[in-house]
Amino acid sequence: MPDDELLSTHLQELRRGSVVLACLLILKKPNYGYALLELLQRRGFAVDANTLYPLLRRLEKQGLLTSDWNTDESRPRKFYRTSAEGFEVADLLHQDWETLNAAFRTLRDEP
Amino acid sequence: MTTTATSTLTDRYVAATLRRLPARQRTDIERELRASIADAIDERLESGADPTEAETAVLTELGDPDRLAAGYADRPPYLIGPALFVDYTRLLRTLLATVVPAATVGVALLRTVQGDTVTGVLGTALGTAITVAVHIAFWTTLAFAIVERVPSRRHPGGWRPGRWDPAALPEPPSRRIRYAELVSETAALVLFSSLILLSPVLSIERDADGRPVGVLSPWLWDTGVVYVFVAVAALSLGFSYAKYYLRWNLALGIIGTLVNLAAPAMLIWLATTDRMLNPAFVEAAGWSPEVPRWIGTGLVVLAVLTILHSIGEAAGQARRR
Repeated sequence: MPDDELLSTHLQELRRGSVVLACLLILKKPNYGYALLELLQRRGFAVDANTLYPLLRRLEKQGLLTSDWNTDESRPRKFYRTSAEGFEVADLLHQDWETLNAAFRTLRDEP
Repeated sequence: MTTTATSTLTDRYVAATLRRLPARQRTDIERELRASIADAIDERLESGADPTEAETAVLTELGDPDRLAAGYADRPPYLIGPALFVDYTRLLRTLLATVVPAATVGVALLRTVQGDTVTGVLGTALGTAITVAVHIAFWTTLAFAIVERVPSRRHPGGWRPGRWDPAALPEPPSRRIRYAELVSETAALVLFSSLILLSPVLSIERDADGRPVGVLSPWLWDTGVVYVFVAVAALSLGFSYAKYYLRWNLALGIIGTLVNLAAPAMLIWLATTDRMLNPAFVEAAGWSPEVPRWIGTGLVVLAVLTILHSIGEAAGQARRR
């Protein structure tokens, strides 16, 4: 069995960046911070609140997400949605992911 | 909603997070953060948790507010990041290795010229070395920490840390040069030892009976210290040969360096305790009492420089292996 701490470091390294792609894909439908956190966790993307909330703002600043305040309900919430540029980036990231995936598979299946 | 006591905890958390953020971002982040915390607490309340416990658990999960603020501000949670670290340590090393010795020797010489005592000169030199080193370390670190936080650096096409080129690799000192050094070291040792050992006979000054008066104190011969000194010098030459012909290893490096330090250390001891010069010679030559002090100070400075050189060389060799 590999060392737990070592393994978690490697997993963290491997997953870094995958949350960005997950957010860009999942925010086709507008969503707000806490609900998005829950949704991501349900879909198998382990992410902490203190990583996600700043990340959403960073992606908005980069123009990959847009946001709107929804004040219809008693608690005002900031809804994020993937922008046109965000979709382009998501496509490119996804392609890269697929390429990597194929490359890994080839490596693993090699005799 | 929650009770007064528990909402205070959220208030304190939000305030602690916002404190370190730029004012123009605060309102928006506060609104969103409060909503997110409230959503998370509600979720826990729905599954039957106690309000106080729910709030504590949510805030604990969010973690250190300073860390969260660093995330919001897109501020690196480190002083100098990996992109700059190598340049930082390289510059720091270069500055420490050049400026500190230069400033120390400069101040020591100045003090000597001003006629300070040997201990005074040494004390000032040591103080200068420490002050200069601390200043260099502080200002270099500050400069790199600022560069780390300049936003343009993160964009492509912005400023990049110095490009590395294979031509910058240190060249190994050639064996022939080291051999020439060895030969001159041997010649210097033979000449130097002969002069010391023959100095009682070769002196230009004579006493009333016409016998030569040695430059060096007879105390050195009476106690045998002069032979120890020559032996130490010869031993350090022996280690130079060992370094040339044997493979370097840690034990050899350490012993060699200690032997190299012994001769200058002895020189400092002799010069500061006034056991170097023969008082009879000073009198016969008609020197003023200032002159022996000057010579003593000069020898101490020379010895300190030799020690610094030996340590620097040893450190360089240890790093190269």
